[in-house]
Amino acid sequence: MSKESPRRSSVLWLFGLAIAIIVTFLTSYEVFGGSLEAMQETPSWPAVLFVNALVGISVALFVVELKRDALRVLMTVGLALLLGYFVTVIFNMDAASRFSSGDFTVQLISDSEPVDNDNTDIEYGRQRGGEFNQPNAAEPLTEATYTFEGQAGDVVTIVALAANRRSEVDMQVALLDPDGTILAEADSISADIVEAETYEDVRRETDALIENFELLQDGIYTIQASPEDVPFSTTMSEALNQTNVAYEAFLLGPLSRVNRWGVWIQDALTLILLGVAFAIVFRAEQFSLGAEGQLYFGALVSGAIGLWLTDLPPIIVLPMAVGGSMVAGFLWGLLPGALKAYLGANELVSTLMLNTIAIKFYELTLTYQLKPDDAGYIASDYVADAAQMAPIVEGTQVTVAVFMVVIVVLAAWLLVRRTPLGYEIRIIGSNIRFADYGGINTKRTIMLAMAISGIVAGMAGAHLALGIHRRLITNISFALAFEGVVVALLARNNVLVSPFTGLLYAYLRAGAQFMERDANVSFEVVRIIQSVIILLITAEAIASFFRQRRIRRRGQVVEDESSPPPALAADASST
Amino acid sequence: MFDNVVESIFSAAFLASILRVTTPILLPSLGALISDRAGVINIGLEGMMLVSAFVGVLFSAYSQDWFGPETGAVIGPWIGMAMGVIAAMLTALLLAFFHLTLRANLILSGVAINFLGSAATVAVMFELTGDRGNTSTLASLQMPFVQLPTFIESIPVIGPFLYGTFNNQNIMTWIAFIAVAVVSFVLYRTAAGYHLRAVGENPAAAESVGIPVKRVQYRALVISGLFAGLGGIHMSMGYLSLFQRDMTAGRGFIALATPLLGGGTPVGTSLASVVFGFFESLAIRIGSLSIPPQLPQMVPYVATVMALVIYALQGRLRARVRTLRASEGENFDRRYWGTIQQLSVLHMLLMMPAVVGLIISVSMFFVPKGFGGIEAAYPPALVIAIISVILFGIGLPFVLKVERISEKAILSAVVVTISLGALVALLLTLFYEPIVAIVIGLIFAVIIWLLLGGWRLLGTRQAIPAPA
Repeated sequence: MSKESPRRSSVLWLFGLAIAIIVTFLTSYEVFGGSLEAMQETPSWPAVLFVNALVGISVALFVVELKRDALRVLMTVGLALLLGYFVTVIFNMDAASRFSSGDFTVQLISDSEPVDNDNTDIEYGRQRGGEFNQPNAAEPLTEATYTFEGQAGDVVTIVALAANRRSEVDMQVALLDPDGTILAEADSISADIVEAETYEDVRRETDALIENFELLQDGIYTIQASPEDVPFSTTMSEALNQTNVAYEAFLLGPLSRVNRWGVWIQDALTLILLGVAFAIVFRAEQFSLGAEGQLYFGALVSGAIGLWLTDLPPIIVLPMAVGGSMVAGFLWGLLPGALKAYLGANELVSTLMLNTIAIKFYELTLTYQLKPDDAGYIASDYVADAAQMAPIVEGTQVTVAVFMVVIVVLAAWLLVRRTPLGYEIRIIGSNIRFADYGGINTKRTIMLAMAISGIVAGMAGAHLALGIHRRLITNISFALAFEGVVVALLARNNVLVSPFTGLLYAYLRAGAQFMERDANVSFEVVRIIQSVIILLITAEAIASFFRQRRIRRRGQVVEDESSPPPALAADASST
Repeated sequence: MFDNVVESIFSAAFLASILRVTTPILLPSLGALISDRAGVINIGLEGMMLVSAFVGVLFSAYSQDWFGPETGAVIGPWIGMAMGVIAAMLTALLLAFFHLTLRANLILSGVAINFLGSAATVAVMFELTGDRGNTSTLASLQMPFVQLPTFIESIPVIGPFLYGTFNNQNIMTWIAFIAVAVVSFVLYRTAAGYHLRAVGENPAAAESVGIPVKRVQYRALVISGLFAGLGGIHMSMGYLSLFQRDMTAGRGFIALATPLLGGGTPVGTSLASVVFGFFESLAIRIGSLSIPPQLPQMVPYVATVMALVIYALQGRLRARVRTLRASEGENFDRRYWGTIQQLSVLHMLLMMPAVVGLIISVSMFFVPKGFGGIEAAYPPALVIAIISVILFGIGLPFVLKVERISEKAILSAVVVTISLGALVALLLTLFYEPIVAIVIGLIFAVIIWLLLGGWRLLGTRQAIPAPA
């Protein structure tokens, strides 16, 4: 990267600057709904602008750092989003089923005198109803038949309609004579009658009406009411409509209001920290997944300090609590680091085990020691005010942690790019034998890389305990730690890029929450998207795979020339 | 209190519960073992278990609609099992395709498979049942439970015990233990197993003698998916009768550790799984006492970390012995080295109680409320801590440097006697007077040390080459 001409690099920087300004403007424009007054009425709007500026800088850094790779990352995310769209469409295939299910009513109207007959279901002037295709019913109702006794010369009107405003069932109705032949059928009501409100409960043209039908003989007549068959085109268009609504909530939801924006940013802060933590160990080619356990210990220690030191000013307590979480994370990272470096214990399995140990210890401490005796559920008291991270945007949990994250990212960048230790980490990551041969103390460096990553993960725990929840709860990480893997991967293990990828990923997560709330599409769709992102972004040979297939189809290559070397497993079991 | 626990440990009901709890660990462990031996460790076991657990429940519930309630009740579970296992194998195939053909990183794509399994099951469950927690609205079925013939109970002495342990176990438990034998056979007695091990040992060498490395690894991953699938079926259709979100609760990760704990053999793996099953059942039992259940729950994970260390150190020692054998040829004293290896394992195993003791005492120090308040918790915590630190301290030099076993054979004997003797004595105090227990324990420990071959070290000392 140093080979670039200064002019080209300055063009790149200018490009980045432009992107930063555009992104800052656009996010702020969306959050405040595009009006200056709304902005000035919002409390602490300068802080929102400040954070948005940081968002802009993150995007710029992403472009400047990754250059062409940035395109690949964006394409991967785009592809995964597209796939998520299709999944959502499939899940929404039942959206049209609201036209074939729901509460309905059948009214039988006539001026004639009703005949009293206990064996019939309905008589003039009465109505019956039920629910078609009730979800989860053992034997859902698909057709309703009602009998009534009629006499020759009676003029009857039958209305079949959705029973209430919630029900959108599309009705059809038929009248059968005593022999079972169909006398009249209807599946809609003309717009004029709906508007004229001739029949008071009729609200939609999809209801059905048989009007003023004269009966020709005496006997038991039957009314058949059922939902209309939904044509496939309606099913598809409904599924697409619903999906579009859902995706709009998904893609624009986080910017629609300041408090939603806050959900995005607060989630992003944790994810950025975790992304940085993973980026550091992945840089050294260590597959340590220990961030979860380090996060729990970080949360535990910082929360305990926050609960314990109630009388000191914030300027002392907060640094102490955060510092405590850093130490805890450091130690819990040092342990698997030492086991890996000096004893050769597989770091993947050991960190997974240490994660569970940390979680169990956290639960143990929380349940038996920190939980107030009178609390009905398992959570500690709120930490002292002095230990809480102060919000910088009112009404959200966007706190001073913003500054913490900025400092951490800069420090991690300095560490990886500008210190001997960072140099050693990078060399070990690219070729550990060369590093050994070159006189690097690989054992010490591997151990330190894992421990330093633990520091950052511990701070993420402090952010959860002091910034977001403000107390200790069970399952505090909410499996967030593993999602840091995605953040680091998307960032190509570059700590300067992880702010962008953390923001991007938190944006998807926040969007998914609002999608679930607004459009009733399961939050899990975003986790499916996430797994697709991991698979696609780590698939190194994906481009050549498709290229090869194309060549083979054309018949230009007879032999598979580039069969990959067999040492595929080497990266997995490099203990 | 302690007596109660011990009493219930030696009951048939407890052994039966161990078998029940072991099954969903053992099955994916066999999958992990196979993928491990082929050099493609399958991180996605957890996700595959979830997929099969969910698909199995789904098909067993719907099969009743398809075949009518009576036929459905008989064949439904089997259809569910077949479809669940197929789904898990397809998931494994996806992982294999991404790793072996598209060259995605195996570990990260395994993590992705876990995300996918967890998310897709919940999303589909939400769509089908409207519930995101479990499938209690679906009338799913269970795999049959195997009833033993009652004459077994009338066998003298061991009859009631056998009957109590093995009667009314789910058929998946039987399948799991039969699978251990099958995997052993395939792995060690067939060409396919030989190829698989060769590929895992050295892929380049296997390739050079014409073994299709990629195909073997594909097969290994898919078969590991099969075992993960069987484990998932036991979770949702044997152990419970419904699917809960993320119901495997980390068993797929434990399964990654058991082959390492079990030395990479099917029998060892199943023993390691039983160890996990034991501690899990113990945690369930102990929940009724005044000990926080999290403490025993932690132990198997600690044991796994220790086992990883043991496994790694043993690997190193073996490599050193191998180079020594190559260089010395005729003069190589196989027995002497066997003794050193065995004693080093013993020393490492004896570290385990010390580490567990440290964890217990740390927990007691930090969480005194969980153990009856500061007055009740701190004195025993202090005692346990001191003993653990001493045991740890005297054992550590022998673990870190095997040379010490040969150089200071007497000291090694003393350390083993004290550590092992204390443990055995602790157990024996339940049945004997303390003094008698201690004496028996110490004597027992010395005998063990000598039996493992310690007497060979007492005579001549042999030089040990520096680590490679």
